Amino acid sequence: MKKNTKRSSVYLAVVFILLYLPILYLFFYSFNKAGTMNQFQGFTFKHYSALQKDTRLLIIALDTLRVALLSSLAATVIGTLGAIGIYFSRAKRTQRILINLNTILLVSPDVIIGASFLLLFTLIGFRLGFYSVLVSHIAFSIPIVVLMVLPKLEEMNEHMITAGRDLGANQWQVLKEIILPDIRPGVFAGFFMAFTYSIDDFAVSFFVTGNGFATLAVEIYSRARQGVSLEINALSTLLFLVTIGLVLIYYFIQKKQRSKKQPLSLDPTNHEKAVRP
Amino acid sequence: MEKNIVSFTHVEKKYEEEYVLKDITFELKKGKFYTLLGPSGCGKSTILNIIAGFTQPSSGVVVLNGDNAINTPAEKRKVNTVFQDYALFPHMNVFDNVAFGLKLKRISKQQIREKVKTALQLVRLNGFENKETTEMSGGQKQRVAIARAIVNEPDVLLLDEPLSALDLKLRTEMQYELRALQRRLGITFLFVTHDQEEALAMSDEIMVMKNGEIVQTGTPMDIYDEPINRYVADFIGESNIVKGRMLSDYLVSFAGKRFVCVDGGMNTNEKVDVVIRPEDLTVTDADAGQIQITVETQLFRGVHYEIVGLDQSGNEWLIHSTKKTESGKIVGLTFQPEDIHIMRLSETEEDFDERIEQYTTSVNADEKGADFHG
Repeated sequence: MKKNTKRSSVYLAVVFILLYLPILYLFFYSFNKAGTMNQFQGFTFKHYSALQKDTRLLIIALDTLRVALLSSLAATVIGTLGAIGIYFSRAKRTQRILINLNTILLVSPDVIIGASFLLLFTLIGFRLGFYSVLVSHIAFSIPIVVLMVLPKLEEMNEHMITAGRDLGANQWQVLKEIILPDIRPGVFAGFFMAFTYSIDDFAVSFFVTGNGFATLAVEIYSRARQGVSLEINALSTLLFLVTIGLVLIYYFIQKKQRSKKQPLSLDPTNHEKAVRP
Repeated sequence: MEKNIVSFTHVEKKYEEEYVLKDITFELKKGKFYTLLGPSGCGKSTILNIIAGFTQPSSGVVVLNGDNAINTPAEKRKVNTVFQDYALFPHMNVFDNVAFGLKLKRISKQQIREKVKTALQLVRLNGFENKETTEMSGGQKQRVAIARAIVNEPDVLLLDEPLSALDLKLRTEMQYELRALQRRLGITFLFVTHDQEEALAMSDEIMVMKNGEIVQTGTPMDIYDEPINRYVADFIGESNIVKGRMLSDYLVSFAGKRFVCVDGGMNTNEKVDVVIRPEDLTVTDADAGQIQITVETQLFRGVHYEIVGLDQSGNEWLIHSTKKTESGKIVGLTFQPEDIHIMRLSETEEDFDERIEQYTTSVNADEKGADFHG
């Protein structure tokens, strides 16, 4: 048994090293004095300060954040309402079809989504730029939010809705006071997922950015094509740190909610007191 | 004349072609404790849902507090429900759960605080306002659910098997408390259960249901003493049901012998079911008994011995006796004429009530007639 545990932990370590090694490699060379990744010549922050002076890149970074925030917010609202709609759809068949349609969008390749958006935008004469990126990001984020919110709805005690109506709440009050607070963890998870998907999306954005507007992923790609500059390493490192930050925030939100729910201290005498006259 | 809080007239409910409720007619009076008793799937919960407004009847008239309820949505009805799984809101603490209904009514914060306090006092949860419901035990959650319902001062409180998730001891305690609470508040309770002991212990009136129909309505004593048919007799407590024949009024034959009984109004030589409760049978010597049985098994149940035996005609008899006997022994059983309950094989509730009224009052008016029809 003990041997087994050892072997499995070694396996786990190897897997994680494989997963994180490229990132660490990139991270390491972003501090390299030499201009290439061939050998490490000494420690420096010069790539980071170069990044700081690169206003174009800063603007793009802000744009990316703007797109991510707005698109994930919009997708969270639409997706949550959509999930509630799916949950309440009477016929089980309709419900199944809707869930499947959602899943198809989720698994279909980004390239296809991007290409079809490009087609759509050119067809209806929508100018490519900030709004086209925003719209397409909202579109691919909605299924993610639905996916995160639906299980929470299904976990929810159905009688709570009945109880709410029983106590005099109308449909809007039931939604606001009972359903939304109960599925909040799912909504938050959906928001963060949508946010990270939007930040690191390349394929869809690549099709719909057009001239004069870019997201970080697209920018990094085009710079990398012109030859590897360590500035990209620095930029990627920063992006990675931001992502870790997001994950940590999400983790703490979850933890806070869980600890709120956990029984703190049950005084066994309380119950007896409550029962006895 | 007391006021009818709820009345159903020929209410039916069907899903597609299947009837869930068939021709349900009943009235609930103010301030009484009613129980709907029946196995799961007999339509008890559907009746609750119709009263609460979560389901619409397919046909028939439902009147709540004098008004036809057909167009009143659930949230506007002065009816509150205690759910089997409590259905507390996990994201709210005890105070917010109880105050939920009041907050929607937009009454002042001060008033809400007072009402919640009173309600929590009634269910003996004083000082639990700031507890999270997720930290509470089953019994405590149950109390919160009750407080949440009664704080709205409903005309009718519906209780959908509220005690079934509790352990036996707590369940018994809650039975006492619910009954006391109902008396104190004077609210009509409609309690749904499949547990006949609960029904007998708490109710003013029990409605026994089977396959979407109300089979018998009456006080716990009526239903226990005079079950209308084999189904009710079987469902309400343990009983010996043997086949018999009515020789004339007040004379019945079963187990190969003739016995004086207190029932009548049947055809001569009509085939009937005879019910004798196990606790009404007394074990004596073989010669002294009205029926002789051979003891098959004997179990010690704490309060009594549970004895099973066979008579000469092959009928099985279940006896609850405080005295011990031995298996294999031949013993006698004695019982009184009023312990014999006669059931016709297919009789409607109306005919049954009429016949019982007529024949029981004429025999021992002071004993039975008085508590008939509450």
